[in-house]
Amino acid sequence: MIQVEHISKEFVSPKKYPGLKGAIKGLFSNEKVRKTAVDDISFHISEGEIVGYIGSNGAGKSTTIKMMTGILTPTSGQCLINGIDPSKNRMENAQNIGVVFGQRTQLWWDLPLSESFTILKEIYNVSDEDYKDRMDFLNEVLDLPEFFDRPVRTLSLGQRMRADLGAALIHNPKVLYLDEPTIGLDIVVKDKIRDAIRQINEQYRTTVILTTHDIGDIEELCSRIIIIDEGKKIYDGGLAELKDTYGTSRRVTMEVRQPELFRKIDWEEKLHADESSIETELDDEKNLFSVSFDKNRIQVSDIISSVMQISDVRDIQIQETELSEIVKAIYRHALKGR
Amino acid sequence: MKKFLRTYLPFASNELKRNMAYKGAFYLFTLCSLFGSFIQYYLWMAIYGSAQGAKLGSLTREEMVVYVFMSYVTSSLTMISVSRELGRDVVKGSVAMNLIKPIDYRLSLIAKGMGTVVYHFLIPGIFVWIGLELYKVFILHLPAVSAGNILWYLISVFFSFLIYVLFDFCFGMIAFFTTYIFGMQMAKDALLSFLTGQLIPLSFFPGIIQRLFDFLPFSSMVYTPVMIYLGRYRPSELCFVLGRQLVWVVLLYLLGSLLWKQVTKRLVVLGG
Repeated sequence: MIQVEHISKEFVSPKKYPGLKGAIKGLFSNEKVRKTAVDDISFHISEGEIVGYIGSNGAGKSTTIKMMTGILTPTSGQCLINGIDPSKNRMENAQNIGVVFGQRTQLWWDLPLSESFTILKEIYNVSDEDYKDRMDFLNEVLDLPEFFDRPVRTLSLGQRMRADLGAALIHNPKVLYLDEPTIGLDIVVKDKIRDAIRQINEQYRTTVILTTHDIGDIEELCSRIIIIDEGKKIYDGGLAELKDTYGTSRRVTMEVRQPELFRKIDWEEKLHADESSIETELDDEKNLFSVSFDKNRIQVSDIISSVMQISDVRDIQIQETELSEIVKAIYRHALKGR
Repeated sequence: MKKFLRTYLPFASNELKRNMAYKGAFYLFTLCSLFGSFIQYYLWMAIYGSAQGAKLGSLTREEMVVYVFMSYVTSSLTMISVSRELGRDVVKGSVAMNLIKPIDYRLSLIAKGMGTVVYHFLIPGIFVWIGLELYKVFILHLPAVSAGNILWYLISVFFSFLIYVLFDFCFGMIAFFTTYIFGMQMAKDALLSFLTGQLIPLSFFPGIIQRLFDFLPFSSMVYTPVMIYLGRYRPSELCFVLGRQLVWVVLLYLLGSLLWKQVTKRLVVLGG
């Protein structure tokens, strides 16, 4: 469905110098700064997949999406969306795709929402029956009727985002690009948007590419994720594998009666573990003792029983590494590698 | 063709609706620009009053009255800025939202412009026009304008509109390079009010400069249709000036396509 081959995008901008002197210098200099936003990225996505496309701010996520939608022309490389090269046949490609940019709207700001939908119906040449079918479906999953007659500028962010998602789907696109669709939304609306995306994917086998900073979106929707950093692809694979590879560490926190007893104990020796797989922390004020460990090397029961030999334990909490921690670790790792 | 209309007509009708949504601003704007026309009118009357001959710049006093108000009507119908919207779209990056749709961006801007034309024609264009004709017939005791002249005038106005919009589209492309266009627009508006004949009829300029104007697209924007309305062209000249307008439409269309192709290649969408 989507083939991206060695795609790169370079931005050229005039060089700026600091300060007033620099501003004057800038008037006469013709120096250019090249910045590579996307650097030789390739991937394939098949029909009906939901792929999370994640990376830190400025990593090149949106730039990639913009090249796949035909807004930007790649400096080198090529992408084919359903067999069409968007940089050559933008209009033809546009008929097959739906796009939501969370920070922008494609709706007509000053007019009632219903008008935007009628215009889009004409633009995409949707027949009356198809339009009715789609609207019935969208009304059900996105609850559009409650604000369908209000001018777009009076909608709340959550309502606008639902409307934008609906607008992107009116022509039954084969591919749906969502660039931060849940940005700034409260948890209820987020859930609604996620539900809608899932239903659309199930019912129409729409391929979805989702960029987000919200790890919840990824965990709930995506089976596969692609991580990029500084324009380069650093991970491409299943969510479960990612968790298996990077997410084996656990943290157990216990509230103990006599924290002072824990101070002098060598845990590495006691649990027969090497230094790298265990880390302990003691909070005297709250009487909290916590151990971070690798679940493949040390059993949690060993730790708990050893602790209970020393002191009474009031409360135990075991935490799995969150995906956000993993992603953070990967970003850091990528930074270290350079 | 039917598909074409179905796709772009909503842009025009929505622009009309959008204009009506902010009617306060529009009435104020209309009032201010009409005020300008009346100042022009009184100024010219004073000039004619103290002039030696009956004609100035080949226009009689009565023709000047028609010129002042018809150039107002004409420019409100033809000088519809698309560069403002283009500039805003580029600077804010919302041009991206237009590029994800299967539409031609320029045609959608022109269609929007048409919506504004219809609105300007209704308020206040047609009223100023009728008022002027009534004034002409009942106060100045001149014959009303002939149906033929109205027809040719309207055709010419349509061409003028296209020339202006296509030109302004090319002009708006500057925004891609400077990412700021407001100052340039002020300069353009000031210059064009001269070059199009909106401020002073072009026949006031020395012969050699008039020849120069013949080779620029600007005289076709306001001066030509108003002179057609005044019935200043013989049939052969009429064909020539309309033909010249058509040539400009084609040339500017091609230029716009070329520039657009170049510019979108180096498009940078800022933010997000």
